[in-house]
Amino acid sequence: MLAGIVKRVDPAVLAVFACIVLLLLGGSLYSRNFLSPEYLLQQLNVAAFLGIIASGVMLVVLLGHIDLSMPWVVTIGGMMSTAAAGWGDLGAALAIPFGIVCGLAVGLINGLGVAFLRVPSMIFTLGMNAIAQGLMVLHTSGFAPQDHATRTMHLIAVERSILGIPNALWIWAVVGAAVVILLKRTAFGRRVYAIGNRERAVYLSGVDARRVVVACFAVAGACSAFAGVLLAGYSTKAYQAMGDPYLLPVIAAVVLGGTSILGGRGTYLGTVAGVTLITLLQSILSVVQMPEAGRQITYGALIVAMLLFYGRERLQH
Amino acid sequence: MDDMRVAPLFRMEGVSKRYGGVRALEDARLDCSRGRIHAVLGENGAGKSTLIKIMAGVVQPDSGTMQLAGRPVVFRNPAAATAAGIVCIFQELSLLPDLTVADNIAIANPPRRYGLIDRRAQRRLAEAALARAGAEDIHPLAPVKDLPLSRRQMVEIAKALAQDPKILILDEATSALTAADVAKVFAVLKQLREDGLAIVYISHRMHEIAELADDCTVYRNGGFVATFAAGTKSDEAIVEMIIGREYKSVFPPKPAAKPLGPPALAITELSWAGQLKSISLAIRPGEVVGLGGLDGQGQRELLLALFGVLVGVTGKVEVGGKPVAVASPRAAKANAVGMALIPEDRKTEGLMLPMSVRDNLSFAALERFQQFGLIDRQREAAEIGEVIKLLQIRCDGTDGPVAALSGGNQQKIVIGKWLMTKPEIILLNDPTRGIDVGTKQELYQLLRRLADQGAAILFYSTDYDELIGCCDRVLVLYDGAIARVLEGGEITERNLVASALNLPAAHRHGVPLASVAQAPA
Repeated sequence: MLAGIVKRVDPAVLAVFACIVLLLLGGSLYSRNFLSPEYLLQQLNVAAFLGIIASGVMLVVLLGHIDLSMPWVVTIGGMMSTAAAGWGDLGAALAIPFGIVCGLAVGLINGLGVAFLRVPSMIFTLGMNAIAQGLMVLHTSGFAPQDHATRTMHLIAVERSILGIPNALWIWAVVGAAVVILLKRTAFGRRVYAIGNRERAVYLSGVDARRVVVACFAVAGACSAFAGVLLAGYSTKAYQAMGDPYLLPVIAAVVLGGTSILGGRGTYLGTVAGVTLITLLQSILSVVQMPEAGRQITYGALIVAMLLFYGRERLQH
Repeated sequence: MDDMRVAPLFRMEGVSKRYGGVRALEDARLDCSRGRIHAVLGENGAGKSTLIKIMAGVVQPDSGTMQLAGRPVVFRNPAAATAAGIVCIFQELSLLPDLTVADNIAIANPPRRYGLIDRRAQRRLAEAALARAGAEDIHPLAPVKDLPLSRRQMVEIAKALAQDPKILILDEATSALTAADVAKVFAVLKQLREDGLAIVYISHRMHEIAELADDCTVYRNGGFVATFAAGTKSDEAIVEMIIGREYKSVFPPKPAAKPLGPPALAITELSWAGQLKSISLAIRPGEVVGLGGLDGQGQRELLLALFGVLVGVTGKVEVGGKPVAVASPRAAKANAVGMALIPEDRKTEGLMLPMSVRDNLSFAALERFQQFGLIDRQREAAEIGEVIKLLQIRCDGTDGPVAALSGGNQQKIVIGKWLMTKPEIILLNDPTRGIDVGTKQELYQLLRRLADQGAAILFYSTDYDELIGCCDRVLVLYDGAIARVLEGGEITERNLVASALNLPAAHRHGVPLASVAQAPA
């Protein structure tokens, strides 16, 4: 049974899981706390934010595109939800959906630009990132908006309401399950992979690829903004550039998890593995007090190493 | 010179090559001698392309040996083969469109001064090469992208000659050329033969072989069949060697009675961007209608226009008597229209190669399997099983990637994908290119069966024999318009070729067809 499952999983994903185990064992030599449930739950709580962003970004990467607007969409999610919280009781009640809808709107524009205007996603989303940044600066400059997270935002990001498991982790599980069903069981999911492999064949099969592209970017925007809402709840306030440290880890997690950066190939299980590995790596690097510079170099080196790995694999075919 | 005949300049023996599980070439042999043109014949997929790729160092053989002037050689890359004097002109154009003609001709080893490219020397070199190729009319400083296809092919030939080859390989090098250019290229090749080059010439056109070749070698299904001196065998005998059996039995019989009733598809005065000119046609259910003519007379555009791919198509399209507006392939696929298009290039237009047989087969019909937003996998699997059985697709389960299948089976998957949408109008864009004879035959039978079940079929083929064997009616296109409609007994090679050239009927006999015909005899 177990062997059967192992056989079906991409060897690259297995390699990532092996790395996770090695990392934990290696860490436990340094401090026994690394294997304690409390430490692991704490890490998974943090991983959930990364994981929710990665869920959306993965959809876009599967298409063969990329979403570089992610950092400031996260910030939009955080800042818009806290801003809404300042608009009285109704605003506070709608803070979370409002933040998500703002991110969805940016994602929608990304999708329309990429699918209909045919601007390469790398350029278009980078441009949208700059625009989002400008909008947020505009938002904070004239007056001081409310930037404190609501009680609910704090609740879903930090507390452990069910079975002692962080609420953020439950949310990630729900988002993840939805993405898995979307990818594995729906026509939409098949089309996502197909577009990543050969958009022309999709078009000539009588499928409107543009709608799929727009939808994926919109979902990615919503996921990023949702993570921004959670992050604001986690640190009790939203602030400028709060999404910036996530760009590299998110893309690294998706690619490490075996999703081809050229699109068309990848599993959600891989993304989960990639997110977990990146989070643990971050934690361990900070516990052993590796300086920020060393951390950045390690991420970068990891991405390059994995891309090398996939490049090789492709050549053998 | 006699001893040169005995020991050929180049000899290949026992060369084999496999791609995954597919045998591309087995125990291949080829001898080339100075001052001779050696024609390599065979169908698509017979192994010719692999053979010359091995000669040119593009592909490494799994086994076998090659000798050049009596010494064993191994080419690890194309540069090594070029250095040894083997230069290849490939079927796909290899020019860089944004560079000039001179840049392209000298690209492998441009003349340099102080480490920088010496443009004046490069231009002189290009002029000399173009003159040698008989293409003095091409300006060396013109950007390649501004040249028409036939001129580009001439640049390609000049580029090969600039490398001063001992052995020159031409792979379908004339397929993009106009008749006048073909004549020029032939003159150049004959001159090169006089100059003592060994030339390997690959072509599907029998008359070209008859005019040029000194020796012929036939390949079939990746295996060597025979080598013989040109002129020692009849055309029929050669064709039978190429296809490996008698030629007649390939096509299913056509129905005696013409289908009646209203047309499934009727178009009136369809035009597009000056490339389709006021085309009107009607296809009844049960009819197989062919599109003929020289390559590039608007046949592909007509199919794409019908399928909603082209923008700005004018004219009226009626399906089942009702006018329809087909603005996209999605609209063409919709139930109200029920169209399917088997595209020209299955690898880039028909399939997602790394994806599974299942994902590819059900892709166009996924809407039908959706239930509450999810795919009903049982029903999907059942229908896929039926299509695999119907088309006799040879695959190991449905989970493996389509890329692992042979060309013929891949093409069956493209067709199966569309059969799953239950189309009533089937458009086919040269569907038998690059697939083996057996599959071709299955395909011809399938077309007839689909027609008998009530489908209306519009079938473009570059192979005249297919048009003759399969179609109830053939529309011959010339310069974007229907030049002639051939029906029943009128569909003969002679008529097809004559109409393709848009010759008035009275002069048809006086024209030397063989020198300009575009189809294999």
